[in-house]
Amino acid sequence: MKIARCITWSCALAVMLMAGAVNVARADAPPSASAAELKDAAAKAPTTAADLSQGDPGGTLTGTINDVPVTDAKAGLTLADVANQVGQNKIGINFTWTLICGFLVMFMQAGFAMVESGLCRVKNANHTYMMNFFVYGCGLLAYWLIGFAIQMGGAAGSMNLGGLQPLSAEFPVSLFGHNWGIFGQNGMFLAGHSYDVGVMVIFLFQMVFMDTALTIVTGAAAERWKFLTFSVSSVLMGAFTYPLFANWAWGGGWLAQLGSNLGLGKGYCDFAGSGVVHAVGGVTALAVAMIIGPRIGKFNRDGSSNAIIGHDISAVLIGCFILAFGWFGFNPGSTLGASGAGCLRIGSVAVNTMLAGCTGTFGALLYMWSLKGKPDASMSANGLLAGLVAITAPSGFVNPIASAIIGFVAGVLVCLSVSFIENSLKVDDPVGAISVHGAGGLWGVLSVGLFADGKSNYGGSWNGVSGSVTGLFYGDASQLVAQLVGIATLIGFVFSFSFVLNWVLDIFLGQRVSAESEIDGLDIPEMGQLGYPEFVFCAEPDFMKVAEQAVA
Amino acid sequence: MAATKSQGRSFTLFLVGLTAAAAGIAYLSEGAGKVALVIGLLIVAASFWQFIKIKPLEGKPALGLQPTGLKLAGIAVTLLGWLTVLGGLFVTPSVGGRLFASILGLAISLVGVLYILPTAASKNAIWKA
Repeated sequence: MKIARCITWSCALAVMLMAGAVNVARADAPPSASAAELKDAAAKAPTTAADLSQGDPGGTLTGTINDVPVTDAKAGLTLADVANQVGQNKIGINFTWTLICGFLVMFMQAGFAMVESGLCRVKNANHTYMMNFFVYGCGLLAYWLIGFAIQMGGAAGSMNLGGLQPLSAEFPVSLFGHNWGIFGQNGMFLAGHSYDVGVMVIFLFQMVFMDTALTIVTGAAAERWKFLTFSVSSVLMGAFTYPLFANWAWGGGWLAQLGSNLGLGKGYCDFAGSGVVHAVGGVTALAVAMIIGPRIGKFNRDGSSNAIIGHDISAVLIGCFILAFGWFGFNPGSTLGASGAGCLRIGSVAVNTMLAGCTGTFGALLYMWSLKGKPDASMSANGLLAGLVAITAPSGFVNPIASAIIGFVAGVLVCLSVSFIENSLKVDDPVGAISVHGAGGLWGVLSVGLFADGKSNYGGSWNGVSGSVTGLFYGDASQLVAQLVGIATLIGFVFSFSFVLNWVLDIFLGQRVSAESEIDGLDIPEMGQLGYPEFVFCAEPDFMKVAEQAVA
Repeated sequence: MAATKSQGRSFTLFLVGLTAAAAGIAYLSEGAGKVALVIGLLIVAASFWQFIKIKPLEGKPALGLQPTGLKLAGIAVTLLGWLTVLGGLFVTPSVGGRLFASILGLAISLVGVLYILPTAASKNAIWKA
């Protein structure tokens, strides 16, 4: 018994001595090279209070190793502290980039308001401006309540913004052995776990995109859309129509999964929204314009059309420049970061955007000048916008030469489309929104499947498929199929959904103002105030008087 | 009549109902969520009842009657084209076959959008009178 007790005490003593020896050894060990270098750097950093109190006009003293937060004051600055700061800097840069780009896109609302109002008659100026103003509120409210959750509620995974892990609830259906995302479920009211810094950034950025789509419709239905119905329609579009398609393309939905599930390229690819934003807005605009009918005096009895001239071409052209400026937020901002895999392509994306806008202007201006005899201002403006719309989807995947071609084609296409929609379809689109955003947007989506050069590489994969997006001209025909499926969905589903939705609203609310209000101009009957109360209105053209008398 | 107080009130009602319904969906797992959803939907329904009640007071628009049957046919053809594209994805694994199905489906949809629905829209158009 005594022997056993002796052995036990001896063992305990030995363990205690060993532990003590280890601790002494740790204390005596020299610091690792990296820790020593950090301490050395901190000691040499010229950022004492005395140094900084003298001011730092050259900017060489401000921002040193001493500005890195230390988690344990006793241990001092560690490599982990520096590494964490590097990670936070990356996310900070990307947050700042994405937010500033979002602010630029938000300002595009002003451009849309000027373009649309300028292309409408002065008697409808207040009404058109107010639609562009109020659509911002309608869209934002609906998107906060429901839309964001449907679109992005299952979109976790953007490492540029820290992962967005609270948004990880995509509702799938299982079909032919694969899961297909249908809509997201997290993020309503930005409450619960979605009260998160990264989620707030992506909400702001996606919200201003959604509002751009909503604004497009107001142009096609201008000068005759009942303000009440416009308001309800915009709320429903911001809550359901836009978010649904945006989920399928950007939120991890089934269009994005065409690559991983069926081997179609990298799935449906739409870098910044030619399809998601502009074509959704354009096809919805077409649906509403069909339901609401043409303005009084637009078409004669024989089916020929009359040009109803807008009141302020200067507003149109200035508005276009505002839009072109905002587009630098739209496309380069869609990298969702300036620091991270592939994000340095922001320069390429910005230049592609610039070039396509330029060649779009040339396409429309040269077409009009050559065939109609005048370099028409409003069509040139629409050419610029069409070029920008078309390059929005491919801007992250193509080279500058392809961008110039895409923009030029869009510029010519918009002129042909305006004529086709007006003269063949007998659909009245006062500002050319259907052609600019619908036709231009669909062309942009298609052009990804043709011109994507396989040189972009955003972290080694896109839509969960490794490799770079490559179009038909660079060897991947399957990408073109994925793009065509997207186009078919925009025309087949989004258009139909919008048509039925607005048809129902027509039944319950009536889409169009009374003939009396339309003839008087919508400013007084709908808004209660003229846009320009001190203007002397010119007499309307003869064809308008004849049409108004016929309606009366 | 143009814009009226009734319009403003019914739109407010619609927004209140939509907000309540959305809150109900957001918290559907809780009892209060279900109640909010039902109340919200009832308020939205009430707002639509208001909308249709005030609609005749707002004056007659310069718009001819668009034939319902033709509009439904247009939508059906447009959707059929989309379903053709989707079906084509699963009928054949070849890129060429899927490309053909996509173009065929798009063509069908375009018949609905660019022919049938514009025909419906201008069938009884007021400018023809």
